[in-house]
Amino acid sequence: MPRTFDPVIRELRGMLLQMGSRSEAILEKSLQALEERSEPLADEVDVDDIDIDRLDVAIDLAILEALALNAPVAGDLREIFSIKMIATDLERVGDLARNIAKSARRSANRAELDPPAELYRLARSAIDMLRRALDAYARSDVETARGVLDDDDLVDAEEEEFIAQELAEIAGDAAIAPQAVDLILVAKNLERVADHATNIAEDVILIIEAQNIKHATKLGAAK
Amino acid sequence: MNHAFTHSGSASAAVGALTPEAEPPAKMSAKGVDVYYGDIHAVKNVSLDISKQDVTALIGPSGCGKSTFLRCFNRMNDDIAGCRVTGDITLDDNAITGSEMDVVELRARVGMVFQKPYPFPKSIEENVAYGPRIHGLARKGVELDEIVERSLRLAGLWDEVRDRLDSPANSLSGGQQQRLCIARALAVEPEVILMDEPCSALDPIATAKIEELIEELRGSYAIAIVTHNLQQAARVSQITAFLHLGELIEVGPTSKIFTNPANQKTDDYITGRYG
Repeated sequence: MPRTFDPVIRELRGMLLQMGSRSEAILEKSLQALEERSEPLADEVDVDDIDIDRLDVAIDLAILEALALNAPVAGDLREIFSIKMIATDLERVGDLARNIAKSARRSANRAELDPPAELYRLARSAIDMLRRALDAYARSDVETARGVLDDDDLVDAEEEEFIAQELAEIAGDAAIAPQAVDLILVAKNLERVADHATNIAEDVILIIEAQNIKHATKLGAAK
Repeated sequence: MNHAFTHSGSASAAVGALTPEAEPPAKMSAKGVDVYYGDIHAVKNVSLDISKQDVTALIGPSGCGKSTFLRCFNRMNDDIAGCRVTGDITLDDNAITGSEMDVVELRARVGMVFQKPYPFPKSIEENVAYGPRIHGLARKGVELDEIVERSLRLAGLWDEVRDRLDSPANSLSGGQQQRLCIARALAVEPEVILMDEPCSALDPIATAKIEELIEELRGSYAIAIVTHNLQQAARVSQITAFLHLGELIEVGPTSKIFTNPANQKTDDYITGRYG
C-alpha cells in the first residue's frame, strides 16, 4: 500500500543525491583548477558551492516538514535523520572544495611548481571514497559502505606520506615553501573529504542495520 | 532506559548506549492467555508483564485483540456473554483467574479507564466518593472528603472543580469528565490502572492533560494503556507491545520499538505500511 510518506522520502533522497553529485563535481573542478593553475575555474568553484548550500537549506526545510507532518519512525526515522547528517557532510565537502580552489588561486600567481603525482593519488582515493559512499547510500549497499570505512586509513597514510615528502622538499629549498604549504593544505582538505565519506558510509550502516558505529574505535579505547 | 540503536563494540560502555538495566519488576503477569468469543479466537497465547515502574502501551490494528487482552487484567471479560479466557494471570504473583477471586476487590486494585468517560449521573463529589464508600475505605465524612480532594488533586482536576463539587458530573467538559473518571479510579487506591484508548474522544489539549497525568502517575501505579495513536504510545509509555491478529508480535522498550523494531510486521505497522 503506498504511503503518504513515500513521495516525501523519495523527494528527499533525490535532493540528497543531487547534492552528492554536485559535491563530487565541485571537488573535481577545484582539483582541475589547481592542476591547470586556472583562476576562472577556481572562481567557478565558489559559485557552484552556492548551489550546494541552497540544496542544504532546501533539505533542512523538507526534513523539518517531514518530521512535523509525517512523524516518521523506525527505518523512515533513521533515514530522515541520516539524510540530514549526510547533507551536512556534503555541504562541508563543498567548503573543502572552496578551500582547495583558494589554494589553486594562490598557486596560479606563483612560480610554477607542478603538484606531485602523490597528491593526485590522494585526490583520486578521496574522491573515490566519496563516490562509493554515495553509491552505498543510493543502493542501500552495506558492503560498499564497509569498504569505504576500510579505506579511510589508506587515505590517512597517503596524506601523511605526502606531507612528509613536502616537508623534505621545503628543507631542501626554502623558496618553494609558499607553494608547498598550499599543497599540504590541499592534502589536508582531501583527507577531510575522506573523513566525510566515512561519515556517510557510517550513516548508510545506521539506516540499514540500525547500528551506530561512529567513533567506535576512539570510544572503545576510552573505555 | 534502553537505547534504541545499538552501538558497536565496547564503545557503547563509554556512552552508556548498551548498558543493560535490570528488568523492572512485574506487577501483573499474563502467561499463555487465550480469549475466545464463542468460536472466534481473539487473543492467542499471549504472555506479557505489566511493569510496576513503567507505562506499558498496547498497540495494533483494529480488531487485533489489544482491548480484549487488556480487559483480562481485571476480568472485565467475565461480563461479556460467550467470552472465555484461559491461561494464567497474576497480580503480585497471586492468580486472579480462579473462581475464589473476589472480582469486586480485584477491580478496586486494578482500575479501568474507558474510551468514553462515563461519570455516574451524580455530583462531581459523589462520583469520587462512591467507590471508597462502598469499599469501606472511609469511616467518617472528613476522611471521605480527604479522599475526594486527594483523588481530584492526583487527577489534576481539583483546582478546576473545588468550588463546584456539588455540580453534576456531566456538566464538566469531556476532558474533565475523563480526569474525573481517573480520579474515581484512584479514589479506591488501586495498584494498577488500565486505560482503554482514554483520549480517543478528547481534543488535543485535553489529551495533553491526560498524557501529563499518566506521566505523573507513573511509578506510583502500574499502568497499561491501549491506544491507536502511535505517537501517544511513543510519548507516554516506556514499554510497547504490538499485537496483530490476536498474537503478540513484539514487546520491548518503546524507544527500541519506534526506532528499530525487531519484527518486520511491527515495522510495517508503525511506519504505516498496513493497519
